[in-house]
Amino acid sequence: MTKYTVRRVCMAFVTLLLVASITFFLMNAIPGNPWLSEKTPSEATIQALNAKYGLDQPKYIQLGKYLKNLAQGDFGTSIKMQKNRPVLSIIKEMFPVSAKVGSIALLWAVLVGVPLGCLAAFKRGTWVDSFLRVLCTIGISMPGFVVATLLLHTFCGGIEGLKVFPALFDGTPASYVLPCAALGFYPMCYLSRQTRTSMLDAINQEYIKTARAKGLKNNKIIFKHALRNALIPVITYLGPQIAFTLCGGLVVETVFSIPGLGRYFVQAIQNRDYPLIMGTTIFLAAFIIVMNLIVDLCYKLVDPRINLVKGGN
Amino acid sequence: MSDKKRFHKPGSLQPNIEDILQWNDLPADAFEPATSEEKENFIQDRRSVSYWKDAWRRLRKNTVAMVALVIIILLAIFAFVGPAVVPYTYKQQIRGSEALHPWHYSLEDQEKINAYMEEHSGAGKLSPDEAVEQARKEAEAKGTTLSRVDEAKIRAKANVSQQQASDNEEKVTEADAVKALGIKHSMFGYSNKELQKKAEGEKVFPHVFGTDDQGRDIMVRVMVGARVSIIVGVCAALLVLIIGALYGSISGYCGGMVDTVMQRIVEIIYSIPEMLIILLLSATLKPALEQFQNSGDGILQSLVTLLGPNLISMFIAFGLLYWVTMSRIIRGQILQLKQQEYVTAARALGAKGGRIITKHLLPNCIGQIVTTTFLQIPSAIFLESFLSFLGVGVSAPLTSLGSMCSEALSGLTTYPYRLFIPAVILSVMILSLNLFGDGLRDALDPKLKK
Repeated sequence: MTKYTVRRVCMAFVTLLLVASITFFLMNAIPGNPWLSEKTPSEATIQALNAKYGLDQPKYIQLGKYLKNLAQGDFGTSIKMQKNRPVLSIIKEMFPVSAKVGSIALLWAVLVGVPLGCLAAFKRGTWVDSFLRVLCTIGISMPGFVVATLLLHTFCGGIEGLKVFPALFDGTPASYVLPCAALGFYPMCYLSRQTRTSMLDAINQEYIKTARAKGLKNNKIIFKHALRNALIPVITYLGPQIAFTLCGGLVVETVFSIPGLGRYFVQAIQNRDYPLIMGTTIFLAAFIIVMNLIVDLCYKLVDPRINLVKGGN
Repeated sequence: MSDKKRFHKPGSLQPNIEDILQWNDLPADAFEPATSEEKENFIQDRRSVSYWKDAWRRLRKNTVAMVALVIIILLAIFAFVGPAVVPYTYKQQIRGSEALHPWHYSLEDQEKINAYMEEHSGAGKLSPDEAVEQARKEAEAKGTTLSRVDEAKIRAKANVSQQQASDNEEKVTEADAVKALGIKHSMFGYSNKELQKKAEGEKVFPHVFGTDDQGRDIMVRVMVGARVSIIVGVCAALLVLIIGALYGSISGYCGGMVDTVMQRIVEIIYSIPEMLIILLLSATLKPALEQFQNSGDGILQSLVTLLGPNLISMFIAFGLLYWVTMSRIIRGQILQLKQQEYVTAARALGAKGGRIITKHLLPNCIGQIVTTTFLQIPSAIFLESFLSFLGVGVSAPLTSLGSMCSEALSGLTTYPYRLFIPAVILSVMILSLNLFGDGLRDALDPKLKK
């Protein structure tokens, strides 16, 4: 277990370093500079600004400096979007909104998706199963923005009498409903498909037959024996799913004008605000990688049958 | 095999390949001796059926997959043949046909509607400028001129009366007028000019889905958008196939240290949050490619011009990150297959590594390769629409289904169909590709052979 954890943590650091370097060189490859706006500044001004923010140094020195500061928890300061404000404080302001929408979405996806998957598995071959299968296949074939705009149209004035929720996000509980519903739809369908498959696997196992032969009640078989084992693969899907919910949030944040980190990230790219791009990418990447790591380690804890030493290879 | 469960990242748009990997695993009962009955069955004469024929036979029995196939073919015809049939082009702005609905009223009905609206909406009331103009004319007729004060008075009066009109009476829209008059609309959009032409006996191609604010035919734009999606999907899948097959087969065939190092690289790329990098890649590559395109006229530059910088940047983004899945499948298969006797035989005859891979190993895992490649297509389309929706994918004047959806967002209440048409086509395309891919997976799986 320790060996595996150490190895995974090392890998996580390498990945993060790689992401930082890729981001750095990519954003420097974008033609243009952060100083271009309606008025093109003079050559001398650009040079002075570059010198002030250290952009005139060779790229590798810039990267080295940035990484050094990063190791000390300094994400740098924004140079365009919110001039001279520390990136970390921008992230601190934006991220909770994204995280809130994302976690509510994921929560309902799990709470609805898993029971639906179980239901489909137990009613296998009936109309319930077929209906759920069609629904979930459609669900994973609809891009997030289609679901989001459909909801927006239906509940924000498109159909008379259904105008219940505000179209623009204003932080009130009612304005959370639609974004969370839109964001959670894909994971819900995905989880339900996943649960159905692993549940079917589980109920065909010998120990379920044994339990049935012993005369256990159906409920007990489902909840005590089948579900526990069926949930193990589902848990592993949660880590990457968190990543997806965060990134899928970009679209939902755009549609509902939510002031979240994802939307800000896209704007930062368009504005060439270098420290802000770096900061948000590294923050989101680190968040996603850490989440994956936690879920993976939990998985090992939950399922004692997995051989950790062998798992390293 | 702790990594097995990590083969698919949900939410990642990469297809799920878990069960494809297990196709060549032998079940425990495969080693039991056959009963005499089974042996007899085996002796029975039966025409040999090739792998593909057999797969096709199974695929044909799968109704869902066949329906999906038909829809895919129809969509492909719509996307590739369609623009040639419709006389408009996707960037042509047709004057006088701006913002048409996908329905129209006949000319007589339209006059009725206009009359009704004028009557009820207070548009008959004069605007201040018109009132002044009228008063001036009257004054001229009388031989006097209007003083500044008089003019201001008339203006204020007209203003007030107009305001009252719009305050008191409800706003009468076209829809209300149509309802009140009981007029039925007919299919397809025509502008007034086009209706007159049609009345004169000329042939006019209708705007089946209407036109957008700049007078561009929506149907042609949807066709071109669907074409972009299909091209992106197929090219990205092929790119992934080439890179993945190369990397995976080298890693699997060489084994040992080479394999270990190559697999560590794969693992790192696998844990990179792909969406962030792809967003960044497509945002950065596009301007860089545009610069390259304008830098000269070599062969490479004209290639960039031919495909368009935005499509190429998307292919690169896709190719760089998505080959990992494919390489893992192929590596897994090759690790298994290279132990077989026929590989030893080939090696004994002096065949080189490259020949063994291309002639002996890859053809034997063709089923997995085909299925995985096919499942990449919908995920690439999904990604393309995602990027275009965020404004970093395909850019104007070229269009795609994703960017059409994001353009339609601003006028959603007035023109909902501008969003629904591309959205429905996109969803149906991804759905049928997914369903057909699932069918293909079942048909090519040797375990399901009966």
